[in-house]
Amino acid sequence: MVGAIRSELRKFFTTRMWWGMAIGIFVGGALFAAFFAYAFTSDLAGQSGGPGGMPTGDAEQIANSVYTAGLSIGYLLLLTIGVLQIGSEYRHKTITGTFLATPRRVRAMLAKVVALLVIGAVYGLVSLAGSVSVGAVVLGLRDVDAFPSTQIVRTLALSLLVLGLWALIGLGIGILIPNQVAALLIGIGVAWIVEPLASVLLGFWDWGAQHVVQFMPTQATNAIVNAVQDGSGTARLDWWGGALTLTAYAVVLAGIGIWRTSRADIA
Amino acid sequence: MTTATTTRAGLIEVTGLTKRFGTFTAVDDLSFTVEPGRITGFLGPNGAGKTTTLRMLLGLIRPTSGTATIGGHPYVDLPHPLSSVGAALEATNFHPGRSGRDHLLVLADTADVPASRVDELLELTGIPAAARKRAGGYSMGMRQRLGLAAALLADPEVLVLDEPANGLDPEGIRWLRGFLRHLSGQGKTILVSSHLLREVEQTVDDVVIIANGRLVRSGPMAGLRGTPGALVQTSDPAALAGALRVADVTSTVAEDGSLVADTTDLRLVGDVALRAGLPVYGLAPRTADLEALFFELTEGTNRNLGAGAAGSPAVPLERDAMTGEEGANE
Repeated sequence: MVGAIRSELRKFFTTRMWWGMAIGIFVGGALFAAFFAYAFTSDLAGQSGGPGGMPTGDAEQIANSVYTAGLSIGYLLLLTIGVLQIGSEYRHKTITGTFLATPRRVRAMLAKVVALLVIGAVYGLVSLAGSVSVGAVVLGLRDVDAFPSTQIVRTLALSLLVLGLWALIGLGIGILIPNQVAALLIGIGVAWIVEPLASVLLGFWDWGAQHVVQFMPTQATNAIVNAVQDGSGTARLDWWGGALTLTAYAVVLAGIGIWRTSRADIA
Repeated sequence: MTTATTTRAGLIEVTGLTKRFGTFTAVDDLSFTVEPGRITGFLGPNGAGKTTTLRMLLGLIRPTSGTATIGGHPYVDLPHPLSSVGAALEATNFHPGRSGRDHLLVLADTADVPASRVDELLELTGIPAAARKRAGGYSMGMRQRLGLAAALLADPEVLVLDEPANGLDPEGIRWLRGFLRHLSGQGKTILVSSHLLREVEQTVDDVVIIANGRLVRSGPMAGLRGTPGALVQTSDPAALAGALRVADVTSTVAEDGSLVADTTDLRLVGDVALRAGLPVYGLAPRTADLEALFFELTEGTNRNLGAGAAGSPAVPLERDAMTGEEGANE
């Protein structure tokens, strides 16, 4: 099992994708942190339901939002990594070699799960390196407390988990949609466009706003890292509720995927 | 590695193996054994079910029914699969963005094989120079060699190679032959598939021939060549057969009207014909045309499905000899 996990990590770090992704996630973290640090501390923000429709929150939520702003790019990249970790195996038929080396397929797939959680944590650190360094500087320049509470540390740690869980969601999608390109388009399309849109539409429906929207993957993600809210009055889960919700998505999608893989003919 | 290690550990047993994809039967009640320490050619035309069979043997495809075991165990139950069985299935199974060396290291991780062994194999298969380049730029021959290196990584007792000669130039094919002989000399069991009999006829000890997913023949290569004989063309084959019987030589009339006498003594056949007053239009030692035989064996079943054993009437003698010899090759 340890060998299989090491093998999965080596698979990831022996193609050029990993450092391209690392650069993307670092730059994304830095840029988003700079932008939000500026935006949240501008004059329009801070007034409840302010005229500019700017999101609101206390100092802790502002700091959380700034440092985890890169997640909005990061989770899409980790979703992509999750899809590719299995999709490229189908595409290049290296899955044959993987299952020859580890014929117990559930074991082989669990090695992927562990490896993706590790990869998620590593990229989370890369993202935080970009967002915390730049974000803290900008907040400092705007005379806002860059580290208002120790809760920030929890948020930063949880953001590593968030990225790992999104990678697992990607793994599940990558198995269920064996065509890598289709899996990427559908996965990112749903996570980035369809789901946020559905959240907004459901927000117009009171019961939906109170009972459904909070369980959407991106809403759960925001709950985990305790980001600022858009003030529309939709309900939000506690951080642990968000973590459980996102874990449930990851477990269900990856679980169905692993079950399918364990039975499929590899031709 | 000595021949003492090649006990039953390397024995491959396929029993009643069947695979249906929907209504299409890719492999149909296939049974054969591969003896340890020998090179066995797994032959059949394209689409005969060779790859499906090998993938079932390796636990990649789930059989509809039947079993395939290596040393008595299904592949998935092998505790250290890569050190028991090395498989090279397709020359295209490499991520184009990963170097050949890294590809081997990825596999090495799962079998606790050190990096030094990886370099050793790159040297052995003759591709150390390309090893650090990305596999996307490899030629077919380099891919085949990399596949072989991967199969040999954990020094397995059994090798399963699917069309390893595909895409090799004549020089590469000669290298492969020597390489397989070398491995066989170490006592390894080698199962090598091919759609060309000629490609492997100088290399293999045994053959398993399938067509349309069914077994056509299995046994030692020597049996396939048939018993040596004499081929005679005469005006009245039946009369000459009678005359030969008097001289204690059995013979068979082939479909094209020529007579196959079970003797290598051409002079005797000529003398008998002269005494019988029969004209001889042609008299030659009969050498088995393996390619034609292979074609007939496999084509015969293509035309009338399921007639494997009684299909092509041109080679009835060898077939009986062949099935009689099966299993007698230890």
